[in-house]
Amino acid sequence: MKPFLPVFLFAAAACAAATSPPCCAETAAAKKDECCEAMASAPFSKNSLYQADAAFTADTGAPFKLGALRGRPVVLAMFFAACGYACPLTVTDMQAIRAQLPAEVRDRASFVLVSFDVARDTTAALAAYRAQRRLDSAWTLLRGSEDSVRELAALLGVKYKQEADGAFAHSNLITILNPQGEVVHRRPGLKGGIDEAAAAVVAAK
Amino acid sequence: MTASPPRTLCALALCLLVAGPAVRGALSPADTPERPSAPREIIIPAGAYVPLQRSAKDAPQVPVAAFALAAEPVTNAEFLAFVTAHPAWRRSRVSALFADSSYLAHWTDDLTPGPQAPADSPVVRVSWFAARAYARSIGQRLPTTAEWELAASAGYTRTDGKNDPDFQRDLYAWLARPVPAILPTVATTRPNLHGARGLHGLVWEWVDDFNAAMVTGESRADSGLDRDLFCGAGAIGAKEMTDYAAFMRQALRSSLKANNTTTSLGFRCARDLAP
Repeated sequence: MKPFLPVFLFAAAACAAATSPPCCAETAAAKKDECCEAMASAPFSKNSLYQADAAFTADTGAPFKLGALRGRPVVLAMFFAACGYACPLTVTDMQAIRAQLPAEVRDRASFVLVSFDVARDTTAALAAYRAQRRLDSAWTLLRGSEDSVRELAALLGVKYKQEADGAFAHSNLITILNPQGEVVHRRPGLKGGIDEAAAAVVAAK
Repeated sequence: MTASPPRTLCALALCLLVAGPAVRGALSPADTPERPSAPREIIIPAGAYVPLQRSAKDAPQVPVAAFALAAEPVTNAEFLAFVTAHPAWRRSRVSALFADSSYLAHWTDDLTPGPQAPADSPVVRVSWFAARAYARSIGQRLPTTAEWELAASAGYTRTDGKNDPDFQRDLYAWLARPVPAILPTVATTRPNLHGARGLHGLVWEWVDDFNAAMVTGESRADSGLDRDLFCGAGAIGAKEMTDYAAFMRQALRSSLKANNTTTSLGFRCARDLAP
């Protein structure tokens, strides 16, 4: 038992030092080692969106690959900060989904917003949006290149088009991904469907 | 041909002038089956595209910068070179995320197009992801909707294809025909004014921003965007509601998912011109 403790601490430190896959929050030592090791190197499943390997940037300015979300259920939507109509409603709906989750799922679920607005939604603009909507550390706000944004939209089945005044016409959609990054539920539109979406997150954990 | 001989010769000479260097490039000894060569390309001059779908706030015309466009859609031979060099895109290995189960279904096997897919016929049953990957592999991209539509707006002998009776006749005859079981080669199509073959009359083609198309109704009379499903002011407000072919293309783009493949959907590549 005693010699095991340094190994455990080392593994814990190694996991924390990496992108901290949430299974490393496992308290049982054996599970932690097993999980961290498997997570880091396993290929993505054939339906996983993370196969696309697109590069994004978080509102902190740090580079972010969607694959970093693996290991936890994800509630994801595409938006743009200047959107005055649907996007604020979508974010509110994502918060409503979160509020309905049982505590242990709520702590593990990740809430992700990816911007269409490559030109105007800089990391500073995203950080300001985060502050304005009071989005805590469970939320990830991302920006990307025209290519990576177009590709993510294509993967999600989201349509979008920039209009002459710089705003974006776009689908209203919240997507639930399981810990493998596979789409398990879609909630299109702006009305209802919160219960079903929350249930899908719980089922996906 | 109904065009007058001097005009035809002029158009032909223009085509040769533009295509000549590109053709020489395409036949260079550096080409091997393993490395897909750059397609023969033409220059589409700057112009304006009248979008089918725009909001009241948008200008009726969208300016499009001059760009280089492949003269023909990508063929089975070219796509074979691509999947040879990029095994992840072979039929037996491709991820379902990136291509549906009909991907290259008409090919005999991973590396054999076979009798249903003649070498010089346009490749079909390819998804948007596959088309993009192909374009990337030769340092190019897919054309945007605006670029493609601008290139396709030219007739055989005039920049406004709508007023070219031969062109309109051929276009609507094609729309009325069922898809042949084996697609003809690109050489069977007549080049348009810019020297592009097969923008009409052969296969539908992927564009880079296919998912910008948001037609939600089934008829040309449905003009608004569903306010629940979509955020935005876009609407079908085209000047030319009689452009049935353009409406069909827009409806097709709206209906596609990125991993879809169909028997009549291929693609061609484009690239920016050096500034």
